[in-house]
Amino acid sequence: MEIKGSVALVTGGGNGIGEAVVKHLAKAGAKVAVVDMVQKNIDRVVKDIKAMGGEAVGIQANVTSEADTARYIKGTLEAFGQLNIAVSCAGIIRDGTMLSLDKETGKVSKKLGLDKWQAVIDTNLTGTFLTMRDAAEAMVNGGWPGLLVPISSVNKVGQVGQINYSSAKVADALMPKIIVGEFLMRGIRNIRCVAIAPGYTATPMLTGMNQDALKAILEDVHLGRLVAPEEIASLISYCVENEALNATTIEITGGLCYPRGIAK
Amino acid sequence: MPSLLYNDMQFSVDPSGDRWDITYNLPNGTSALAAAGLFPGLAEADAAIRALALVKTIFPVGIKSVGPDVTHPNRIGDLKIVGPDVTHPNFIYWDKDSVSSPKTL
Ligand SMILES: NC(=O)c1ccc[n+]([C@@H]2O[C@H](COP(=O)([O-])OP(=O)(O)OC[C@H]3O[C@@H](n4cnc5c(N)ncnc54)[C@H](O)[C@@H]3O)[C@@H](O)[C@H]2O)c1
Repeated sequence: MEIKGSVALVTGGGNGIGEAVVKHLAKAGAKVAVVDMVQKNIDRVVKDIKAMGGEAVGIQANVTSEADTARYIKGTLEAFGQLNIAVSCAGIIRDGTMLSLDKETGKVSKKLGLDKWQAVIDTNLTGTFLTMRDAAEAMVNGGWPGLLVPISSVNKVGQVGQINYSSAKVADALMPKIIVGEFLMRGIRNIRCVAIAPGYTATPMLTGMNQDALKAILEDVHLGRLVAPEEIASLISYCVENEALNATTIEITGGLCYPRGIAK
Repeated sequence: MPSLLYNDMQFSVDPSGDRWDITYNLPNGTSALAAAGLFPGLAEADAAIRALALVKTIFPVGIKSVGPDVTHPNRIGDLKIVGPDVTHPNFIYWDKDSVSSPKTL
């Protein structure tokens, strides 16, 4: 599929990886809908895209809301008349171990709160599902070729301290198989689905992480640095253009390894 | 350069080459670009009609009942605990009389 002239919707497009994806696609000639919860970030990104000579609409919304999802799909269609690419970058972390133990007694002193579990599942899993579902609905009904891109994470393998996040991301990574299988069954041949599983990437999300843990993790990255958001954006552009990529999850980690060299 | 008033929100639709930009003019005197480079080749009147439909979708407002958020209950066993629904992004506090529907006593 050609990027030039296509229409892309990116949730979480106001920051980090989403912002890089929006700008990369706009630079390549796509019309873009920037969906985010933070209005001032949307405003900044839409302004930047105008300065690049691109076409953009900003829509403030919460991806966990079904009504908001319907609204940003409708807004994208009203602005540009079609939809071809949907990237679900909106995501959050609320890290913590499931149990914390009292050092002296060895008994459980704290449990991971349901609020932390639910917020991450709502945003990272339900939000992705709603965007993929409603974007696919628009593409099928409009008869437009399309690419659906859930954003997973390399921590889909299971990261201690991220039971909520890893559970959501492993489910996001499964979506391409299920969605494309369903499309095949239904005779929908012109819409693909490829998930991206980034490794540790230089975005504001990482500022919320334990910085000592991050430093230790970087020692296990073969590349020796964080992945740049633009590198993920260029991979997504490649996925748009290469139609053989389908029903799979692609990791982009810089070579993140477990300690002692076992690739994650 | 058509100006749109919708639910007390002021927008302008400005030409940019053969396309149109939509700017949201905020009450505090600042502005934000709501959309850039839309509706190629459309005449001003048609662009204004399309722009109005778009801002009505992007900025939904109206009477918002702030009640329990039944779609996101916290579950503890069989118990569903629902919090208040106060998360609407465009919730408007009507602290002044409406311009489009002024109060008539
Ligand atoms: N940064 C990393 O190292 C990394 C690694 C693997 C996967 N990821 C995934 O990539 C995606 C983007 O991460 P990032 O690092 O760019 O994060 P980020 O915090 O920089 O940006 C996330 C954006 O999503 C928006 N957002 C959050 N909740 C939302 C909601 N409910 N509705 C609408 N918008 C919402 C935020 O406002 C923000 O603009 C996430 O899904 C994240 O899990 C990130």
